[in-house]
Amino acid sequence: MPYELRLEVLAQYREQLFDGLLMTVWLSVASIAAGTFFGVVLASLRSVRGGPVRFLVDAYVEVIRNTPFLVQLFIIYFGLPTLGLRVGAVTAALIGMTINLAAYSTEIIRAGIESIHKSQIEAGEALGLTQLQIYRDIIILPAVAKVYPSLCSQFVLMMLASSVCSAISTPELTAAASYAQSQSYRSFEVYIAVTLIYLALALTLRGALALIGWRLFGRPGGRAVQPTLKVEAV
Amino acid sequence: MRKMFRTFIAAGALALAAVGPLAGLAAGSADATSLSDIQKRGKVRIGVLTGAPPMGMVDEHGKPAGYDVDVANLVGTMFNLPVELVPVTPPARIPALQTGQVDFLVATLAPTGERAKTVMFTTPYSAFNMVVVSGPGKVYNVVGDLKGKRIAVNRGSSQETALRRANVPGLELVVYEDDATTAQALLSGQVDGTALPSTVAAALLKQMPSAGLQVGQPFFRQGNSMATLPGDFELLHYLDTLIYLMKVSGQLDAIAVKWTGEPFPASLPTF
Repeated sequence: MPYELRLEVLAQYREQLFDGLLMTVWLSVASIAAGTFFGVVLASLRSVRGGPVRFLVDAYVEVIRNTPFLVQLFIIYFGLPTLGLRVGAVTAALIGMTINLAAYSTEIIRAGIESIHKSQIEAGEALGLTQLQIYRDIIILPAVAKVYPSLCSQFVLMMLASSVCSAISTPELTAAASYAQSQSYRSFEVYIAVTLIYLALALTLRGALALIGWRLFGRPGGRAVQPTLKVEAV
Repeated sequence: MRKMFRTFIAAGALALAAVGPLAGLAAGSADATSLSDIQKRGKVRIGVLTGAPPMGMVDEHGKPAGYDVDVANLVGTMFNLPVELVPVTPPARIPALQTGQVDFLVATLAPTGERAKTVMFTTPYSAFNMVVVSGPGKVYNVVGDLKGKRIAVNRGSSQETALRRANVPGLELVVYEDDATTAQALLSGQVDGTALPSTVAAALLKQMPSAGLQVGQPFFRQGNSMATLPGDFELLHYLDTLIYLMKVSGQLDAIAVKWTGEPFPASLPTF
């Protein structure tokens, strides 16, 4: 008996799929915001502080970048309760994604910061800029602008990796797809549909990030553009 | 900006082009396997359950083992052909059959009205009761006890189907990918209980004697069947005959006692 592709069966699961889609979008946006914030903070911390701070940040980055995301999720969701700290599946997913993304963005932004030449900072000092101005306008903004394309790729990867969270019962898009699949036994129809949904999500996310980059750094993708520094008369 | 849009459109078109043939492939690959096809190939490919001790799991040597594996090998001997065991996870059982990765399933698949629209079932070759395992201090003996509780189930399992059908008010089903993870969710206190086949529950209690787990009274009885593609009547009838032969020869009871401690229940209705 040849397999009949019947995409119309998906219609009865549209509510679950839509809720799953919203959960995926929410988890992605929240973890991107939080992950970038912690990435900037940690990368800055390790560049200004030596010794134990730098060691701790580097250790965190290496541990997270060299262990599987699924295992990190299992430790948060199944491991923390044994220490008396129980978090729900959605919170666990958000914590896991933020911890994971923060480590990658720390590493990416670190590379950006290290690419800022010492003479730039010296020039800033010579012009009489304050420490905060130097940090903001000469170090962080140009550093993030330089590595913005790499950051964007990491954000999209994280959004796609959120599909793993269904393993700890987070009701996101892949969990909704698995539900539809297990109820209808129409695996091809379901997975073809979610493939297209993920693709659309990823392309939308890339588009949105390009627009943000354009606003922040003056060009889509924000490729290594130095923001114009407004130096007030001294 | 324009270049970006062009890239997006190209990516979208490429994805559609990639998905298109996939759909075509799906449409073509699930023709029924006749007995003579299997004989001609000289090998029988059987899907067996994995990750659900004692029905299907891997042993200490990394080889498939369990109730299903013993039955599948016995079927292979009766076919007089070498057997290729294909381990499948619970959600992948029916898709593996539909996509032609296996000739038929010996994968602890319970007949349900929904599933019977997609595959054909043989008469049951194994059976167990569904119970809810809970932590210390509480025990769930009837479905009504689950009111307002969070109960872990294995996705696509008969436990999930049975509990959804029972429609208990306030019961929240928390879905995981296999029985082992539902057990872990219980041990971590993420859920109030986990619905498991009694065989799996017994194995869990044996592994975790110190966790103070409790097993309630059985809620449902479940028979498990082998499954073939729809329209595969020749193969289906052949498998039914083999199951009958295993039952009268006592071989099936021997396998049942080995893995579950009890013979195959004679009172289970057949079809």
